[in-house]
This record gives sequence, structure tokens and C-alpha cells, in this order.
Amino acid sequence: MAQMKNKIKVLRAEKNMTQEDLAKEVGVTRQTIIAIEKNKYIPSLELAFKLSGFFGKKIEEIFILN
Amino acid sequence: MSLKAFKIVRILIAMFIGVIVSVSVTTANMYLALSAIIIGIIIMILAKRRVKDVMVDEMMKTIAYKAASIAYSTSVVVLALLSLILVFTNLDDQNTFNYRLGIVFSYIVLFSMAVYSFAHYFYRKKYGTDEE
Repeated sequence: MAQMKNKIKVLRAEKNMTQEDLAKEVGVTRQTIIAIEKNKYIPSLELAFKLSGFFGKKIEEIFILN
Repeated sequence: MSLKAFKIVRILIAMFIGVIVSVSVTTANMYLALSAIIIGIIIMILAKRRVKDVMVDEMMKTIAYKAASIAYSTSVVVLALLSLILVFTNLDDQNTFNYRLGIVFSYIVLFSMAVYSFAHYFYRKKYGTDEE
């Protein structure tokens, strides 16, 4: 099965944000952000677009399909 | 209200209901328990409305979906096997409790499968998988 990796943790650190702050910005719980950062949960397309919009980057720049 | 405050309110409501229900059991007053449960539900609904934080998101829904799927498939298979065993081991004497229990289990299995089929049909229509 294909593995999905992401740069959410790095991008969040660049913005000096907590997981809680990011969760509030994109309308999810902190647990979801934790799971995404650990590559344990693949977000929906909607959430991926929200994240890409928030960080001002393309989806493929944030999420990498191995 | 924050999610943390809501969790505290939820625990307090559960404690309130637990205490009132135990009091109603000891005093054999059913209406007291019933009113406590209704009041608890109303307070819970009102508290839920005041929560501004996100309580349920897509990951929570995914977890709930997977848990429900496993719970459904496991319980249906277990109940179906139990009903088969109970019915076929008591075919000689159909007036036994076990035989009747087997029949009840088989109807529960049929009912849950019917609900599943209906829900499956509904969502298939909703997402248009029948259309070309």
C-alpha cells in the first residue's frame, strides 16, 4: 500500500504555531493534527486543501506519495 | 464553552444521573430516575450547543466508521453462529428456552442485515454508483 508523508510539522514549526493553533485554523481537533504529523492518518482532500491554503503551498509540496 | 469545560460538565451530569438513579432504585421511584435522565439529556444538549471548539472532525468520524464496521460484522457473525448452534442443537424439543433464544438471535441478525442493506442502498443511490 502506498505511504503518504507530509511536511506539516516542519511548516508548522516555521510559522511558530502549536498543534492546537493549527487545528483551530483548519477546523479539526488537535488529535487529528498529531495523527497527520505522525503519518498515521491521511487527511481528506478537503482538509488537505485547507492545509495547503493555510500554508500557502501546493498540496504536492506538503504531501508526498511514496 | 471550551471542550475541557464540556468534558467536566459531562462527568458531572453522569455523576448526577448515577446518584439520582441509585436513590430512585433504593426508594423504588421510577419517575425520579426518568426525570433525572431527561434533565441530564437536556443539560447535555444545551452544554453541547455552547461548545465552540471542534468536537467531531473527519478523523473522529473515520474512527467511528471503522469501529462501527467491525462491531457490526463481528456481532452479526457471532449472533448468526450462536443462533445456528442454539436452533440445530434443540431441534428435537422446540419448546426449550435455548431454541427460542436461537430464533430470537436469528431474527436480530436478519433485522440488522436488513438495516445494513437499506443503508447500503441509500448511500449507493446518494453517491450515484449505479449511474454510468
